[in-house]
Amino acid sequence: MKSKNLVKFVSAIVAVVVAMFFVVLLVAEPDTDMVARSPLLGQPAPAISSRTIEGDPFALERRKGSWVVLNFFNSTCVPCINEHPLLVDFADAESRRPDGAELYTIINDDNSESIRNFFDKNGGDWSKITDDNGAIAVAFGVARVPETWIIDPNGVVRLRITGELTEGLLGRQVDLLREDFSS
Amino acid sequence: MKTRRSVWLAMFLLAGVLLVFGANRGGGPKTQQERIDSLTSNLACPTCSGESVFESRAVAAEAIRSEVARQVAAGLRTDEEILGFIEQRFGGQVLLVPRADGLDSLVWALPVAVAVFSLFMLFSAFAKWRDNRPSAPSNDDELIVARALDERES
Amino acid sequence: MLASTGVSGTLGRAFLLVGFIGAIFGAFAAFTGARRNDQQVIRLIPRFAVLTFAASMGAFAAMEYAMITRDFSLAYVQKVGSWSTPALYNFAAVWSALEGSILMWVLVLAGYTLAVAYWVRKRMHDLIASWAMGVMFVVSAFFFLVSFFPANPFAAGAPGVLDGPGPNPLLQNHILVMFHPPILYLGYVGVTVPFAFAIAALITGRVDEGWLVATRRWSLFSWGFLTFGIALGSWWSYEVLGWSGVWAWDPVENASLLPWITGTAYIHSVLVQERRGMLRVWNISLLVATFSLTILGTFLTRSGVLNSVHAFSESGIGSWFLGLFAVVLVVSIGLIGWRGDRLRSPGVIDSPLSREAAFLANNVLFAVFAFVVLLGTVFPLIVEALQNRQIAVGAPFFDRLSTPIGLALLTLMAIAPVLPWRKATTETLRDRLFWPAWCGLGALILSLALGAYGLAPLLTFALGGVSAGAALRQVFLATRRQGWRGLVGRANGGMIVHLGVILIAVALGASNSFSKSQELSLVQNVEAQFAGHTFELRDVIEVRDDRSISVKALVLVDGRKIYAPAITKFTRIGMNVGTPSVRTSLTTDIYLTLEPPVRQDANEARIKVFIKPMITWLWIGTALMAVGTALAAFPGRRRKPTEPTSAPVEVGRS
Repeated sequence: MKSKNLVKFVSAIVAVVVAMFFVVLLVAEPDTDMVARSPLLGQPAPAISSRTIEGDPFALERRKGSWVVLNFFNSTCVPCINEHPLLVDFADAESRRPDGAELYTIINDDNSESIRNFFDKNGGDWSKITDDNGAIAVAFGVARVPETWIIDPNGVVRLRITGELTEGLLGRQVDLLREDFSS
Repeated sequence: MKTRRSVWLAMFLLAGVLLVFGANRGGGPKTQQERIDSLTSNLACPTCSGESVFESRAVAAEAIRSEVARQVAAGLRTDEEILGFIEQRFGGQVLLVPRADGLDSLVWALPVAVAVFSLFMLFSAFAKWRDNRPSAPSNDDELIVARALDERES
Repeated sequence: MLASTGVSGTLGRAFLLVGFIGAIFGAFAAFTGARRNDQQVIRLIPRFAVLTFAASMGAFAAMEYAMITRDFSLAYVQKVGSWSTPALYNFAAVWSALEGSILMWVLVLAGYTLAVAYWVRKRMHDLIASWAMGVMFVVSAFFFLVSFFPANPFAAGAPGVLDGPGPNPLLQNHILVMFHPPILYLGYVGVTVPFAFAIAALITGRVDEGWLVATRRWSLFSWGFLTFGIALGSWWSYEVLGWSGVWAWDPVENASLLPWITGTAYIHSVLVQERRGMLRVWNISLLVATFSLTILGTFLTRSGVLNSVHAFSESGIGSWFLGLFAVVLVVSIGLIGWRGDRLRSPGVIDSPLSREAAFLANNVLFAVFAFVVLLGTVFPLIVEALQNRQIAVGAPFFDRLSTPIGLALLTLMAIAPVLPWRKATTETLRDRLFWPAWCGLGALILSLALGAYGLAPLLTFALGGVSAGAALRQVFLATRRQGWRGLVGRANGGMIVHLGVILIAVALGASNSFSKSQELSLVQNVEAQFAGHTFELRDVIEVRDDRSISVKALVLVDGRKIYAPAITKFTRIGMNVGTPSVRTSLTTDIYLTLEPPVRQDANEARIKVFIKPMITWLWIGTALMAVGTALAAFPGRRRKPTEPTSAPVEVGRS
């Protein structure tokens, strides 16, 4: 008699655990935010220094005083290629403003030659920063390109966007941040 | 029989002494490479499923590996601090060993609980069986055996 | 949809449909035949088995034909096919992605169904056989349906595609991709057979030992192939992935390990039932667990749910497998509950110091082990679902928890083989373990003399020594008594399997604890030293073919032979794959990988060197396990089932 009860008891436990597993899977809310979390938000940006593909030195700290947008990029990644025209538009619009943001491409696991070819073909005359051994990517915690980061004139990280940009998203976010910042 | 028992005793003692000796003799201090390897084995490659940075050849893993190598070579941070740095940048999903607080502690506690519970069940089953053991074959049992043996003979 | 694919696409889908209909009719015939005990209907069953197998062969052949002729009208061929893939890897490309591997599952399952039908052909009147065939057909029908709808390998692709990227570079880099997946599937899918018989036994209520003894070889067969498949996977990982390890505890590996663990528990505890008639519920539960874990594992690894909880609702296949998993559990638990009264075991265990008690302890350990692996695999999922936060549970967690379990299992392996059934005294134990204990002490002293340190590895070596002694003792006594027959049968073959397991445990202990590694920056013709070996870069060369460019560093090791670790860029996919180069010997492997970045014109290269002891013994242990499994399945001379267990077998004990 006792062993029969035990069978029922264990079967019930297995059934309950599996049912809970199902419920957990089914009720989980999808998280579809484009604007991603990062422990760096609100913190001073990591001190990074490197060179552009032309060989000029680049140090993020020296860009204090203006808004900086960093775009992590690889010329073979499809979403990076897709969002490129949006970045060109954004850079155009910003260059016409007195307080316009500076856009930089951070090269992710790509060689200077393919980057040059890509930008020659698709436009975009901002600086492209080399990232040896992915040090800049690690500093920002970027695992998968594209990612776009916004840094304010005080050098504080304000926003992280993971994945492909959507039409107007970047300009809108920079405008919002600028309003907050000036008030 | 007596001598054999003392041989057993000697064997256990010797094995115990050797194990204590062997457990306390180290393999020397860790080299830099060993530090890098053990640190990266504890970090998850952020773009793979379940692979560590040590194992993975993915771009993000290469980048983290060289960052760890750089920090180990600089020698300024402890292992904990290096892991903390990477975790701070990439988030908790890069730690392959779950932390022992909050919900995460369940992953450590549940196996121990299950192990204790099943050992308890095992021992209680032994105890129960020992109590219920039929003391001697009943007459019916004897009859069945006798019949079966008869059939076998014929 | 059919119109826009080529002839193989249309034909393949037609075959799948025929197979599905055949399986449904087969299940129908088997179930109604069994319920009404209608022998005329039951006689039809083998025909449906032939039909479904022929259909699955047809579908698989159609896929192979499409792949070989590079029929780019199919989406699947567009995904994994390429004109530049060499013929052999192109043949294996069929099972290099989801849809194709489901197709292979269908083929293997239909093959098993036919094999079982052939095996029971003379016993078809036995209702258990019909019910089991019915279960096989139901599972087959499910897989035909999955292959027809959510994982359709014959779906039409985008028009105008003339070439594709080819399979994942890691799957066109080593000859093992030809063998590892089919062999693993033979094991993975094979557990369906004992499961089907377990369900049939529950339905008919004949839960005694008859069906168990009957399916013993099927269980052993699939367990053996599962073991062999997992080992081949480790070998592939070692030879291809370039991190010098054999086991990463990633979810895909865990998915194949889980049924292996419960299956191993089963092939042990079933001996107790055969011998003593006990543990009936437990054995049936283990078979159910083994089968449902293959389904759950497929769900976890194929639905994308592990990348994100939310991914599985998007992939169609996830909900199918989750559904099957639920059905299997509900039906099995329901049947076990329903038959609860008949499942009560007549016997009791007399003493904790007996072979059956040792088997029971073994089962508890394996159950805890399975729980740990399952929990670690699904835990990130649970945390993500509950707290919307991503965490990872990886190798360090599994290593830490499986070490004590492994040591406990080794201890049991040392004691259990010398324990008699029913009851032993400490005296017997002392007597029989005397020489094995010396082996353990010898192993401990030897490993200390060789410089080993650390508690866990030393315990592994010492306990490995005792277990090896215990296994050898059994084999020695049996061969002395019975000659070559002392090597066959489950007890003796099992001991050979144990020896293989011990070799693997010792090799894992040694290679995990005493590996050394170093990154070396080599300059051409300058000798570098590490761990008593010399490394000299002779040249860096580039090899191109039409799918890849590889850069090879030619490294002279110890001044004797040149090894060539390489990095290969697969140009169509844009993925870099490292190819390690290994100098193998019985004691130590020297494992070389080329580290990025590489330039073929340079006169220097960064090489990572791993010195790994005893790796070869992993493969020797695997071979021994395979041999032992075959010996265990070999018919030994045994007691007739009608004889009392106390009756002597003609020649010695089986």
